[in-house]
Amino acid sequence: MKPKFLITSLTGCSGCIATIMSLDVSPQLLERSKLSYFPFMSDIKTIENIDIALIEGCVSEESQIEHLKTVRKNAKKVYALGSCAAFGGILNLSTKKDAEPISNYIEIDGIIPGCPIPANLLGNCLIRLIENKEIILSEKNLCDSCPLRGNIEHDFDYKINKLYPNPDEIVSPEENSECFLKRGILCLGPVIRDGCEHICIKKGIPCEGCMGPVSKDFTANIVNFLSLVKLSKDLKGYDGIFYRFSKPKFNW
Amino acid sequence: MKKVIEVCTRIEGHAKVNIFLENQNDEISYVDFEISAYRGFENILLKKKLLDIPKIASRICGLCHVSQSIASCKAIENLYELEPSEQSVLLRRLLMIGELIKSHSMHFFFQSFPDLINIFNINNNRELLLPYKLIKDYPQITSNFFDLIKIGNEIDKIFGGRAIHSITLIPGGLVYTPSKKNTILSRRYFQKALTNLEFLIEKFIEFFSNQVPPTEYMLPNPIYLALHDQKTYDRYTGLLGIKKKNNKTVNFFGKNYSNYFDKDINLRGINFNLDENVLVGPLARNKIVENYGLDETSSYLSYFDNNWKNNILFGSFIRLIEMFAEVKKGLEILDDPLLNKKEVLPSLNSIQNSDGIGYVEAPRGILLHHYHLNRENSVDQVKLFIATEINIPLINEMITKYAQKLYEKEDINSVKKKIQMIIRSFDPCVSCATH
Repeated sequence: MKPKFLITSLTGCSGCIATIMSLDVSPQLLERSKLSYFPFMSDIKTIENIDIALIEGCVSEESQIEHLKTVRKNAKKVYALGSCAAFGGILNLSTKKDAEPISNYIEIDGIIPGCPIPANLLGNCLIRLIENKEIILSEKNLCDSCPLRGNIEHDFDYKINKLYPNPDEIVSPEENSECFLKRGILCLGPVIRDGCEHICIKKGIPCEGCMGPVSKDFTANIVNFLSLVKLSKDLKGYDGIFYRFSKPKFNW
Repeated sequence: MKKVIEVCTRIEGHAKVNIFLENQNDEISYVDFEISAYRGFENILLKKKLLDIPKIASRICGLCHVSQSIASCKAIENLYELEPSEQSVLLRRLLMIGELIKSHSMHFFFQSFPDLINIFNINNNRELLLPYKLIKDYPQITSNFFDLIKIGNEIDKIFGGRAIHSITLIPGGLVYTPSKKNTILSRRYFQKALTNLEFLIEKFIEFFSNQVPPTEYMLPNPIYLALHDQKTYDRYTGLLGIKKKNNKTVNFFGKNYSNYFDKDINLRGINFNLDENVLVGPLARNKIVENYGLDETSSYLSYFDNNWKNNILFGSFIRLIEMFAEVKKGLEILDDPLLNKKEVLPSLNSIQNSDGIGYVEAPRGILLHHYHLNRENSVDQVKLFIATEINIPLINEMITKYAQKLYEKEDINSVKKKIQMIIRSFDPCVSCATH
């Protein structure tokens, strides 16, 4: 029996769904599974007997909660697709809107993070799901296999005063293999999950954290890490770092 | 007044149509295409660091991310009074071509093609085609489109560092010098795309050029707005043109946009102070641009008469033509020796202007970002002008008229279904419109 998939989106940019459509494995996905509910390309509106539900986007509207619950009730497994569904995502930069992860409302079976999800990671996860296997995410941080790692030992005594290098200072790892933190540029690699193949770092751009942390709360990880380095006053007050993909979860 | 709501399918994002009935539900008073879940990027971008803004703006849309990022980079470059190098411009153009191929092909295959097949009854009156049926009935067309989606994706991956939310697009230029290997690879992708597009354009002509397009889809003489470079097709640079009913085009620099249109960021919609609704996107570009710089496109276009050319369904054909023209342009760019030159990007040090305006033609039409800085050089006002937002009043005008006419002889369920075909033919981008 082909597994029945549901792919749906809440509030987001549709980038993770667009990633699915252009994967190398997407013809395989179409062949080896049945897309039972996918409003992007089908007119079917009923949700029933789903094996695997993939949900993109964050919860920003009351009306989305009912849809989420319907999906949960009718699906054997539910996965958060991308960092919006997994952590709340970029909309957490808003001071006016809520942007919550779907796990605030329903139980989920796992997350496939990234903004957008790295194509190889997503392709591997989808194949495993079709084969009724658990998805696998790296348990290591980005520094573990970073091309700029060298023999660096993090003592974290860095003065960080830049969010990005100025355009004229951007160099590829082949030209300058010094860690961003050593150069005074913020890189969230130490607290971010590996799995993106260091695509930003390879282009000379530091990690902005789109894959989320290996464990525990997103913002707490960032706050803990930044308390170890000497962050300039200017960056300390910049919410573009702390709330970029998530807000702290309060459990009163 | 009774309101009937229908959730739209096969469009990018979440939207619904509200049908308002009156006279004991005998008549339709009006229909409105409603997009909800506004996210407020105009608020999100306030006080953000200038180098950070394009990365955040990219997240407005996973389909138009290149256009969003480039409009944003251009607005910031305007603040610094800085022009990116010729090489950076070429690389940005390649990214825009990749984005256009992917976006137009996804729209054509999943959204407009199934509707066209139904409207013209080409598949012997079979019910709305589901994707699986479409793949089964038209395997060659399907594989051609899947290839194109993939090619657009791969081009953006090569030049953007990743296929969605490009890493390389930054204010001042583009952080990437293509290797010889990647230039050759890109050339192969474009050559393949060209073959696919020739096949698809010919198929389109074979299927539809002898058909008479339904009058319900005729454009009600809107005003067209598009970017052009001296009447030649160009989505990166040039003047904005507004073409009115009398066929006269008024041209102006994007920095003077507020003489022609503006918005109140607390309210939805864009104000034009014009008598007619405005259309942006491929058809508007086709109306304003006199040529695509190619002989083939003119001969392809000559298969269709004015009934087609003033019909919103023709947008689908224009999308194929645009992809064809841009792939040809892409091949030209790949031959430019400037492309592989190593260069250092400019430094962004001294801000010159308190207003930064940047614009491009996104696949769905004009996209303009306007940032204002306060005395501390912190962004204190953001205005984003998004194509789909401009098209909504025209969409509403057309679906209301069509619904009213249909409801005289068909039931409300049929109305709900059929008006969505008009909406889809506009290729609305709900993510962008709910920025």
